[in-house]
Amino acid sequence: MKTWLTATLIHILYCAIGFLFLLPLWWALASSLRPLNDIFRDTSPFTWRALVPDKLTFDAYRSILFEKGFGRAVFNSLFVAFATVLGGLAVNSLAGFAFAILRFPGRNALFGVTVLTFLVPFEAISIPLYAVVRSLGWLDTYLALIVPGVANGIVIFLFRQFFAQVPRELVDAARIDGASWLTIFFRIYLPLSKPVIVSAALLIFLFQWESFLWPLIATRSEGLKVIQVALAGFEQRYQTLWNELFAAASLAALIPLLILLPLQRFYVQGVTAGGFK
Amino acid sequence: MKRRSEALVAYWMLAPALLALGIFRIYPIAVTCWGSLCTESFAHAGKLLFVGLANYLDLFKDPIFWKSVWVTIKLNIVINPLQVCLALLLAVMANQRFRGIGFYRLLFFVPIGVSLPIACIVWRIMLDPNNGLIDSILALGRIPAQPFLINQDQALWCIVAIATWKGASFWMIFLWAGLQDVPREVQEAAQIDGASQTQRFFRITLPLIKRPLLFVLVTDTAVNFLLFVPMFLLTRGGPAYSTNVLMYEAYKSGFTYGEMGRALTIVMVLLALVMIAVVAQFSLFQREKV
Repeated sequence: MKTWLTATLIHILYCAIGFLFLLPLWWALASSLRPLNDIFRDTSPFTWRALVPDKLTFDAYRSILFEKGFGRAVFNSLFVAFATVLGGLAVNSLAGFAFAILRFPGRNALFGVTVLTFLVPFEAISIPLYAVVRSLGWLDTYLALIVPGVANGIVIFLFRQFFAQVPRELVDAARIDGASWLTIFFRIYLPLSKPVIVSAALLIFLFQWESFLWPLIATRSEGLKVIQVALAGFEQRYQTLWNELFAAASLAALIPLLILLPLQRFYVQGVTAGGFK
Repeated sequence: MKRRSEALVAYWMLAPALLALGIFRIYPIAVTCWGSLCTESFAHAGKLLFVGLANYLDLFKDPIFWKSVWVTIKLNIVINPLQVCLALLLAVMANQRFRGIGFYRLLFFVPIGVSLPIACIVWRIMLDPNNGLIDSILALGRIPAQPFLINQDQALWCIVAIATWKGASFWMIFLWAGLQDVPREVQEAAQIDGASQTQRFFRITLPLIKRPLLFVLVTDTAVNFLLFVPMFLLTRGGPAYSTNVLMYEAYKSGFTYGEMGRALTIVMVLLALVMIAVVAQFSLFQREKV
């Protein structure tokens, strides 16, 4: 009897917190499927219909994707995020491997500097970064959005910690067999590191998908707007097209969630193996 | 000979990452440093003119700057411990094992997928004093409608709530990962020795996850000192400068008023504040050797 009660209380607690986490997205999603003229009908005064609308329509999605150019922004964000993930995995895993396995002068100092860079968030350097990217001639191009996000101190750290845990004997045996360092990296280390690759990829993906201030500064043209900037602009321009605003927000949240949730287990495994301990 | 080739390989492997970090992270910090000592001169068509500490002296005379310093510090004193404690609580909750936990874990992950700009926009509509969902729900309990973001006593705390809604969930991952590394046998042994659940948590679990805890605290602090999106999207620093954090003030100086020298000087002050906070956190964790 008592355990039954405890179990129920625990479920109530978990449900309450889960509800709080889900509420904004759920409400946005529910509202995005309502016709504009009764968008707030059940919100004030509040009825449960606010969360479960009775009439559903996809008009808002059709309008933002095909008439308001939101499809382009979704494409831009996906393109930028995936390009950065590919570049980031290559660059950061190599660096992590060098820091974890190879011996060379200056290793500790360079690793220290790398770790320190993630204490300086993008926001802090966005103003001078603007000048750097301008002098490279990259303003208002995809390069400006992609390249500065590729090298990432946290991701290098993640790879280094993971590689450092792989038994050293594997390397020594392969060296005696005459394998080059690159072969060892590609044949031994990479195949072992699936969870950490997933974590690293998701971290980079989320980082790019969410970036707001930098794309806002670095691009001007409509064709290069990423989803967060497009959303903010949309909010300012069409303040009363609530259903479309909700549709845009739902879309921008559902895309990363559809990628993140199936990979959830690997993501945590990778961070665990990456040794944040 | 062998050693030298190993080092050479290492430098080649590091080159892309270090070069990129150098150009896009470290060099901009150096530019910030230098830029804070200069002013753009109109006479020489935007050329930088060295002015020494003039930007700093001007800044220190400006009451709006001091107000922003205070808002930034107030925000961080609350938000960092809050986010880390809630993230830890969530991590402990996610780490339990019972039927149905998988479903709850999915729910706990939802805010990670919802970016901060989206969270801000949706929460703004939810907190709207006219049609807002939150006021409607409060009305069910006969609580009068609250002004939330348009009130200077509430706006900053609304931002804290929204950022924490997102942040607690994001940082949970790193702490949860740490918890998974705590060996079950240690817990069980302590249980057999008669340690209560609270004792086990504070005496065994917490010391064992000190490193991820410090990592999360330090990184979260760096992020929150530079929190910008909610102020930009929700309050524009208002009402009455009550949410005008240093990063927003820097953005305004640089991109609205074109005063780059002032903007970079503010960023330098911010970086200094972050460093002070981080050093304090490190020494706090070092001292508490459990």
